[in-house]
Amino acid sequence: MPRGWWTRRSNYFWYIVREFTSLPLALWLLWFLLEIRRAQDGPSGYHPHSSLGFVIFSVIVLLFALYHSVTFLSLAGAILHFNVADRPIPSQLIVLSQFAAWAAASVVVGFVLIYFAR
Amino acid sequence: MTATKRITIKATRFDPDKDEKPRLQTYEIPFSDDSMVVLDALNYIKGHVDGSLSYRWSCRMGICGSCGMMVDGVPKLTCNAFLRDHWPRPITVEPLNNFPVIRDLVIDMDDFMHKLKAIKPWVIRKQPVPLGGGAFVQTTAQIDEFRQFSQCINCMLCYAACPVYGLNNEFLGPAAIALARRYNVDSRDEGLGQRLPVLADAEGVWECSFVGECSVVCPKGVDPAKAIQQTKLDTTMRFVLPFGNRD
Ligand code: SF4
Ligand code: FES
Repeated sequence: MPRGWWTRRSNYFWYIVREFTSLPLALWLLWFLLEIRRAQDGPSGYHPHSSLGFVIFSVIVLLFALYHSVTFLSLAGAILHFNVADRPIPSQLIVLSQFAAWAAASVVVGFVLIYFAR
Repeated sequence: MTATKRITIKATRFDPDKDEKPRLQTYEIPFSDDSMVVLDALNYIKGHVDGSLSYRWSCRMGICGSCGMMVDGVPKLTCNAFLRDHWPRPITVEPLNNFPVIRDLVIDMDDFMHKLKAIKPWVIRKQPVPLGGGAFVQTTAQIDEFRQFSQCINCMLCYAACPVYGLNNEFLGPAAIALARRYNVDSRDEGLGQRLPVLADAEGVWECSFVGECSVVCPKGVDPAKAIQQTKLDTTMRFVLPFGNRD
């Protein structure tokens, strides 16, 4: 493969972007685990990291996470294959159900976090 | 009388006995008819300009799968790539990516042939049914399960488009996996257990990271990327579900 093969076609490029997004995402999650550990001594000594640089990094990671999730869930239609009464369920319906499950899970997690943070 | 249009074809020339590396040779030929395809251009060159140009073809109608080449960097069946979509720009025709080149535009497909054999692309029965045993009856729904995957014409465009195969040609690859799925989901077949060790091997389905380009370039709508992801799901389910380990 020639060097820079992934710049030759837009599909290759967006595939590399999709794969790359997991790296900053993993870094952010590692930091998040550290913060949880630091928070275990109670609120008095806990000062979450909130520099402008870190906020910008978090926003970028959020965009990466959204891109990764959207591309991943959109592919579900190609992967999942169910038959109902001997007929395959349309792939659009499968993708839609994945997005609905994602939205529902986000609401539940958001609710739990906000509820326990109060 | 209007003068015939002309089009420039740049074709890879490579003779392993003489050349150190491939080079492009330029031919200018008449573009006399809007229905002309790249294969027609190559045939014109071979017939009228340079009889030493080597390439494969047979059916001229997208059936035999032998005329796959890189057309302006994209894997295509040359019998299905129209000159009018490129004219007046020159067209670069090269051998399919990711394969050794035997000569000019002819690739060596041996690697795929071994992989194809490894996935046993035929109906396997545990107990052979005697010839007089009658027909295997299938419903339309059962045929629909594998119809798409059975359209593969072994043209190798998907291998040329796959960067995973380009980086590691031990990877079983899109068409071989699509064909394995074609038999695995066939209601007459009982050979899943025999194909699984090849499919679930480190160089099998798990090597794929879902670039998806194989399905984009496939001229027959086989969607090998789908076959690979579905096989991943199947092998995982067989592993995690207590009743999944059926044979
Ligand atoms: S899956 Fe499609 S691109 Fe790949 S060999 Fe078969 S027909 Fe050609
Ligand atoms: S010549 Fe047969 S597929 Fe093109």
